[in-house]
Amino acid sequence: MDAQLKRGVLDVCVLAAIKNEDSYGYKIIKDLSPIVELSESTLYTILKRLETASMLVVRSTEFEGRLRKYYHITPRGLQRILDFKNEWKEIMDIYSFIGKED
Amino acid sequence: MTKQEFLTELRKNLNGLPKDEIEDRINFYEEMINDRMDEGKTEEQAVADIGTTDEAVRTIASQTKMSTLVKEKMKLKRSLTGWEILLIALAFPVWFPLLMTVLSLLFTAYIMTWVLVIVSFSVEAGLIAGAGGGIAAFVCSLIEGAPSLIAGGGALLCIGGACLFVLACIGATKVTLKISKSIFLGIKSKIIRGRN
Repeated sequence: MDAQLKRGVLDVCVLAAIKNEDSYGYKIIKDLSPIVELSESTLYTILKRLETASMLVVRSTEFEGRLRKYYHITPRGLQRILDFKNEWKEIMDIYSFIGKED
Repeated sequence: MTKQEFLTELRKNLNGLPKDEIEDRINFYEEMINDRMDEGKTEEQAVADIGTTDEAVRTIASQTKMSTLVKEKMKLKRSLTGWEILLIALAFPVWFPLLMTVLSLLFTAYIMTWVLVIVSFSVEAGLIAGAGGGIAAFVCSLIEGAPSLIAGGGALLCIGGACLFVLACIGATKVTLKISKSIFLGIKSKIIRGRN
């Protein structure tokens, strides 16, 4: 897949993984593993980018005597998912148009 | 490898990054390893799952902009005193030409990596010009009533050569792009690793 396209798609994948409930790093990787292989370093970069863009907030919670970071989606993050879906509806329309040609 | 060994090695290899970013990344990896161990994996397995520190450095390098890294590197550890500023100002005639020399050397080195591309496109341009000239000469000779076989043949040769040589141009560009990309990645990895 084109690198630029993949980057945008991965961002939305991570947002989707925390959409219904707050999640933490390892759980995000596990939840996404059936559809996309994500390395720790890649996930770190994505989470930072989304945090900087105020699409998620981080809070550290104590878990079994150590700290674990939980990621919580913001309204802006939810909006990003919606925008992505709309963009893809357009692309799917184009896709079916191309398909008609053969 | 134990978790501590992995994290120590990683910390050493991220030396060129800002201090708080190193800590943040180390904590992130540590949480990842702990979570895997909580799930029942052995320490050894959990660390192996994360991959090698080299892979981590390469991924970070590919995802960080060169300008960000350089900016980080140029940041002063403390602010300058008045004397130091004065000294830098007085030494301007010394360090400015040096800086310019270094910059122009770097620029030359960068151009050198593109030499293959520049040469192949020049040859291509030459072939196209040759084809144009040949056709013109051939047309002139036709008008004069004595068709020149040399001009016509030359034009055909140049056209054929130009068509074939386009492939060489594309190849040279692709190879050069690939090489300069990996050089960039290497430089960035080096900056991230910092002084070991």
